[in-house]
Amino acid sequence: MTRWVGRPLPRKEDGRLLAGRGRYLDDVTRPGQLHAAMLRSPHAHARIVGLDAGEAATVPGVHAVLTGADAMAASRPIRPLIPTPVPLDDWCLAVDRVRYAGEPVAAVAAIDRATAEDALERIRVTYEPLPAVVDPEAALRSDSPLLYPALGTNVLWHDVLTYGDVTGAFARADGVLHERFEIQRYASTPLETFGAIAEHDAGLDAYTFWTNDQRPGLTLAILAESLAVPQSRLRLITPDIGGAFGNKRRPAYLLVCALLARRAGRPVKYVEDRLENLGALMHACNGVMDVELAYRGDGTVLALRVRDVADEGRNLISPTQHNLIKLGNIVNGYRIGAVSYEAYSVLTTKCPSGANRGIGKPFMCFAVERAMTLLARRLGLDPAELRLRNYVRRDEMPYTTPPGAQYDSGDYAATLRRALERFDYDGERRRQADGRASGRLLGIGIATSVEPAGTNLASYELITGRRAASGSAEAAMVRVEPDGGVRAAVGDPACGQGYETVVAQIVADELGLTPGDVHVERGFDSATTPWLYLSGNYSNKFSVTDVGAVLGAARAVRDKLVRIAAHRLEVAADDLELADGAVRVRGVPGPGFTLRELARTAYADVLGLPPGEAPGLEARHAHQNPLARPVGADRTVRSQLVFSNAAHCCLVEIDRRTGVVRILRHVVVHDCGRELNPLIVEGMVHGSTVHGLGAALLEEFRYDASGQLLTATFMDYLKPTALDVPDIEVDRLEHPSPFTPLGAKGVGEGGAIPAPAAVASAVEDALAAFDVTVRSLPITPERVWRWLSA
Amino acid sequence: MSDCSIRLRVNGRAVERTVPARRSLADLLREDLGLTGTHVGCEHGVCGACTVLVDGRTARSCLLLAVQLEGAEVTTVEGLTPPAGLSALQEAFRECHALQCGFCTPGMLAAAHELLAENATPTRDEIRAAIAGNLCMCTGYVNIVRAIELAAHRLPR
Repeated sequence: MTRWVGRPLPRKEDGRLLAGRGRYLDDVTRPGQLHAAMLRSPHAHARIVGLDAGEAATVPGVHAVLTGADAMAASRPIRPLIPTPVPLDDWCLAVDRVRYAGEPVAAVAAIDRATAEDALERIRVTYEPLPAVVDPEAALRSDSPLLYPALGTNVLWHDVLTYGDVTGAFARADGVLHERFEIQRYASTPLETFGAIAEHDAGLDAYTFWTNDQRPGLTLAILAESLAVPQSRLRLITPDIGGAFGNKRRPAYLLVCALLARRAGRPVKYVEDRLENLGALMHACNGVMDVELAYRGDGTVLALRVRDVADEGRNLISPTQHNLIKLGNIVNGYRIGAVSYEAYSVLTTKCPSGANRGIGKPFMCFAVERAMTLLARRLGLDPAELRLRNYVRRDEMPYTTPPGAQYDSGDYAATLRRALERFDYDGERRRQADGRASGRLLGIGIATSVEPAGTNLASYELITGRRAASGSAEAAMVRVEPDGGVRAAVGDPACGQGYETVVAQIVADELGLTPGDVHVERGFDSATTPWLYLSGNYSNKFSVTDVGAVLGAARAVRDKLVRIAAHRLEVAADDLELADGAVRVRGVPGPGFTLRELARTAYADVLGLPPGEAPGLEARHAHQNPLARPVGADRTVRSQLVFSNAAHCCLVEIDRRTGVVRILRHVVVHDCGRELNPLIVEGMVHGSTVHGLGAALLEEFRYDASGQLLTATFMDYLKPTALDVPDIEVDRLEHPSPFTPLGAKGVGEGGAIPAPAAVASAVEDALAAFDVTVRSLPITPERVWRWLSA
Repeated sequence: MSDCSIRLRVNGRAVERTVPARRSLADLLREDLGLTGTHVGCEHGVCGACTVLVDGRTARSCLLLAVQLEGAEVTTVEGLTPPAGLSALQEAFRECHALQCGFCTPGMLAAAHELLAENATPTRDEIRAAIAGNLCMCTGYVNIVRAIELAAHRLPR
């Protein structure tokens, strides 16, 4: 029985956001609040041989100063998500050595931000520069300068994982396609930067944080360990979050605020400026990937061999994340029977890498999809036809890939066929031929993808050999208040995905209400929201875990309402239904009991409860996705759990004089199973696709040889504007997942995964007369112009 | 740091304040007047999140000093919002799902407001040009363009 799930309902949260009444982190002000600013290293790699902050402390308006030495004395190192081969101390401020330009070395809290920034100028740091390590391949070499001499190497992980008879498949193959691809550093750059407020209660020795951190469960664990206080004396609250896309996490900044707040005895707020955000928060790994496809003459791909170097920058928080997640989509949607994956996770003196919409999957998809298109070129096949010959078929679902990912549902060939139809592929090919005849540079690109949802943290066991966290789960709460009103909360703080609306749709269906009747808490509050270590807004997990948590809590409340009503009506519970805000006898018109009346029984008139029934009408439920499992003895791993899929068709035109690539059309057909709110789903597809288009044509964090970031503002690091992208054309198929409670699958990362490959193939196609192969991004006018001029 | 006295009108109300000379208009609105609907996204005049109307024209409040606003009429998202409910433009944004995280939205509304005040029948290309100075990281702009188009259709003629 669903009346609300599946409807394209406009969002509940929009009223306040449109009126300017949202409440984002920087809108929160605490009494007596101070503002922090951070002094950051100008060098990519240097020893700190002197640091004198004495004068800064004397600036009028300054209340506290914190250096790396202070942080060492007052806190413990930040625990990494996975342990490094040798334990490395990672403090919230640099100690002894800086390892990227922009690394914080000291912080000041003052009456306002400007005063704090003034005081930073009085801190004197003496650096002894060390050689920068910018190129990840160079960082692998034994003679490379080391970020952590104690480690003896810059390599955090190197392994070769082999699944199936790769050697045999290559020996049997009619041919091998070998290509080397590169991906640049880029990031989704949410419009609101990262920030936090910390408040210390000296009497309780307790801390409260307000932050737009998108993964509060993990962050709370780190804060407790680093501050050496039990989690019971920590509280973390997230307000409205102005976009996140994986980028919004940096426990070190919360620690800096906490230590400053403790020193100053006043709350301390820190909000990144955009320079700090672009240069020091989080980039997707850049990297290099060698791809070898072993194929038969008919285009059947027999095996895939990949060597992948992920450039982590100075990332000790979540290294190897990009490598591991690539295993989840390494064969993309294809029936490739044998896979070898050689992974390097390597440190360089650049901004820490971290989660960014898709984490590794965009590069993996780019490499495989580019390779497939190049194979089609080599074999003289249409790129669509080559794909259709290799897809996992619908009747093979659920299908397990050689590394152990399970594709649960979908019809990949049907998705591509629908995309070709929507694109009018044959018609566009004819128009392209006509256009070429008149000198236009028109190109068509196709890319298809799988889109996993839900990360199984057990996969880190592949690297560490032991299990710390595992599985994928989330918690939620539903409560009928004493006045009959309904409130829900989930441990996953929304960052623009409209959870207040979708959770209300789900709860309304279970309790016989309308979404307007259900108040869904904004964000997360560890004191009131149910949560797990695994809680947070990451890995596309809403449909895979959160929905089950909300449903479980709603159903528990519904069952209790029915039990109370059955007792009072003296009928069997099975004869009752929930509708129109009441519990009533099925098929019998009449009021039965309203939720308000039942709530009065549950909270006030408790002698009216059935014997043994506890007072109250609240349920908490945590849902663990059933697909997660430990790493297999054969090293197979379900690093991700439930798979959507998509096909993109892109039409570009290149300006011969300037090299500018203009995207004329971009068609997306996707299948994320049951769409809980199609309006929101379509919006996610538009947005994620444009993230991919930005990566394809515009965005790059470019470093010089000394490790200086050259694209540190939005004047140099170019984001797509409304003039750079077309109206994304979207269509859908719906193959529900058998492994999620409502059949929904992930949709948050979608377009960001295949769009770069689609654009690259379209550009290459447009430049067919120039014999160009696109092996890296972004495809800037300068690069195109050089190809045209060659 | 020297202070300056300024007088201006914000959302139709007279405002008189003494502020540091280096205070930006964005900080005046947010910190001094509590009008937190205006958001600061880049502080170097590129992203457009802080866009407000100054004497009816869009302006980056992060690039203006408060003291430059002497005698000006400033309108923020709070001023574009009716006392009850939403404006026709805001309602179109809601219906078209033209916002996700909502952080760019106040600036987008200001840009769209300026466009529709000058051009009641904009083409899609004109709409895209009008909002090209405002970055949105969530929507890919598709639904923002649709919403402004819908609002234009609904303008009284």
